[in-house]
Amino acid sequence: MDQTTLNPDQWINKYADALYSYTLPRVNDSALAEDIVQETFLSAWKARESYKGEASEKNWLYTICKNKIIDYYRKKARDIVQPMSQNDHTDGYFDEAEHWTKEDKPADWGIDYQQAIDNKEFYKVLESCKKKLQQIQQSVFVMKYLEDLDSTEICKALGITSSNYWVLIHRAKLQLRTCLEKNWINLK
Amino acid sequence: MNLLNISCKKATYLLSKKEENKLSWLEGFKLRGHLTICSLCRKFEQQTSFIGFTAKHGQEQAVLSVEAKEKMKTVLKD
Repeated sequence: MDQTTLNPDQWINKYADALYSYTLPRVNDSALAEDIVQETFLSAWKARESYKGEASEKNWLYTICKNKIIDYYRKKARDIVQPMSQNDHTDGYFDEAEHWTKEDKPADWGIDYQQAIDNKEFYKVLESCKKKLQQIQQSVFVMKYLEDLDSTEICKALGITSSNYWVLIHRAKLQLRTCLEKNWINLK
Repeated sequence: MNLLNISCKKATYLLSKKEENKLSWLEGFKLRGHLTICSLCRKFEQQTSFIGFTAKHGQEQAVLSVEAKEKMKTVLKD
């Protein structure tokens, strides 16, 4: 490998912001994101001898970074003693017959979804709604929709059962949808 | 016909399984039946797939502070 590309100063100048931008929406905490980026560089630097140049340097760093993020989720998942508590938040969305309640039933958003994709306000609200999710719900949501992992991989990484997983992703979606409807649709 | 009826709570739960093609034949049958008659759950499906799709987009470029970068450089050189 070209020695000039193994210069840590150059690495950081070239990739630090990109890795930070990648990490931040996945952990929702700037100090933590900074730590993860630093650890990524550190691990990469320690492993530089074993880097064979098969993947591009950039992809190699992203892979390390992604694994650090998943490690963080795994540790977080372990901290949560009882993720399936009896206080099921989603119960609020449905009545006794498990049909939508008046307050929480999906409203007509009346938007053009194609146009909404470019709406900056939408992403701001989405980020703040994501932050309101419980940590483990955030983890499954990010792994599923930002990392494109499937349920089997997510369960394995987080050490949860598949039925736990389906409940968590269900709750995450219910909460995000309601939060967006209240804070974004009503803003318009 | 109760065997074939599912609630909105169950239907919205099954939608995530549907996304990954993890529905059993019977679950798929029940879900399709429910969605045919329930416009609220159809809305839920449309809105949450939009959320899932957009989750990856629209992330703004974040920038690390100069101090943070300098710190990283120092750490790597140690």
